[in-house]
Amino acid sequence: MKKIIYYMLLYIFLSIIQFVFGKYLSVFGIFPNFILIVVAYLGVSKKIINAQVMGFLFGLTWDAFSTDIFGTRALMFTVIGYLIGKFCRDFDMNKILVQFLVILLANIVYWLGFGLIHFTILGNESYMTSFIDGVCCVKVIVTVLIAPIVFHVFGMINKI
Amino acid sequence: MVKLKELTCKCVYGLCLAPDFYKMCQRRKVKYEDLIFLVLILVGFSFIIGKFTSTVRLIKNLVYCFSYSNLSLIDCVFQSSENFTNDIRSIVYMRHENIVYKQKNQELTDKLRNYDIMAKEYDNLSKLLKLTKVKNTVSVFARISIRDPDKWYRWFIINKGERDGLYNELPVLMFNKKKDTLCAVGRIVGTYGSSSKVALITNTAHALPVEIKNKGVNCLAEGFDSNLLRITYIPRDADVKVGDEVVVSELSSVFQKDTPVGVVTDVSEKSSLDFKTATAKVFFEIDTIYEAIILVPKMKI
Repeated sequence: MKKIIYYMLLYIFLSIIQFVFGKYLSVFGIFPNFILIVVAYLGVSKKIINAQVMGFLFGLTWDAFSTDIFGTRALMFTVIGYLIGKFCRDFDMNKILVQFLVILLANIVYWLGFGLIHFTILGNESYMTSFIDGVCCVKVIVTVLIAPIVFHVFGMINKI
Repeated sequence: MVKLKELTCKCVYGLCLAPDFYKMCQRRKVKYEDLIFLVLILVGFSFIIGKFTSTVRLIKNLVYCFSYSNLSLIDCVFQSSENFTNDIRSIVYMRHENIVYKQKNQELTDKLRNYDIMAKEYDNLSKLLKLTKVKNTVSVFARISIRDPDKWYRWFIINKGERDGLYNELPVLMFNKKKDTLCAVGRIVGTYGSSSKVALITNTAHALPVEIKNKGVNCLAEGFDSNLLRITYIPRDADVKVGDEVVVSELSSVFQKDTPVGVVTDVSEKSSLDFKTATAKVFFEIDTIYEAIILVPKMKI
């Protein structure tokens, strides 16, 4: 029961941060991808099922709010939750460098997958190269830089 | 550490005493995770593939509604669900229609089979009696490739020509959806390799021997560069009324007898003492004609 409440609160809290604050606090459309960081965190510290289900729900919510192809983010967050849970579980996540690396890899998977789906479905090549362009790069860097703080905060919450 | 985990496992599954049970549980868990992952991936992909379908739109609106509910969104959800039910309804109708068409298809196949048998009998009989065979026709379907706006009612060019077996003086017809029959459009006046020029019956230079259907009144249909035809040489005492159908008469060397041409819209008796004239509206949709059918006679045997 506690777990369900925890995940429900996490869902509401993170949705508010990403979708409500994201609108007002973004600078030139750049706002850290908190959902990606949390999904990665869940993948590393909790069960893989939790990470992928939460990733799927977050992605579905984000898809509902966006005008992109419905289901893209749900798919990508599920994949990220699963992959990180499978392969990064043995990493020492207390090291900041490892956290950077994991979030960077998650970002690469996210953007490449996103681009690939858009390219396949819509034939839009610009999404494939969007990972390299300025705004996207800054988004990734900001997300990577903010990751240790989020990891630290969630670590504290878990201790409580 | 492993021992501790094993102990925990034993505590959780109290009845378990087997040493490998923990590993089995782990393996089962891994399978369970993979299964859920596969299910989620499949759901995600189905959303992506069906991105514009009403089902996906309904789910999207529902999720949006739960996350950020307001009246307009609820309205949106209802609209989506309505579209969804409409889609299902149309699928059911389509299925029903499909069944009807299949039945019709079966009927037509049976008819065709009968026709083939009759054609064989006809061939045999004509051979026995040494009769000349009546010419059969082959339908050639062509698209209108050029139509000059200045000569809208005079001629057009079609995308079939000598290579498709067309030659001059062949009848050009069009399918009239309302009447569910073929009606006269014009005749071929020039053929090239892969195109032909068709003179319309509404062309001023065109005159077509016609008759008033079921009345046996022979007359002439002359074009005058509009969607109307002037029906001339109608005997003064002939009973011709507005609404009478004009069909091709037996005198025509281009069209088959009784090919529909138009319908009488006006009758005038002033022009001559011996004859009266009428105006008829052509049956073929002159402004929306895109395709034409050319009837090419098969060779005489």
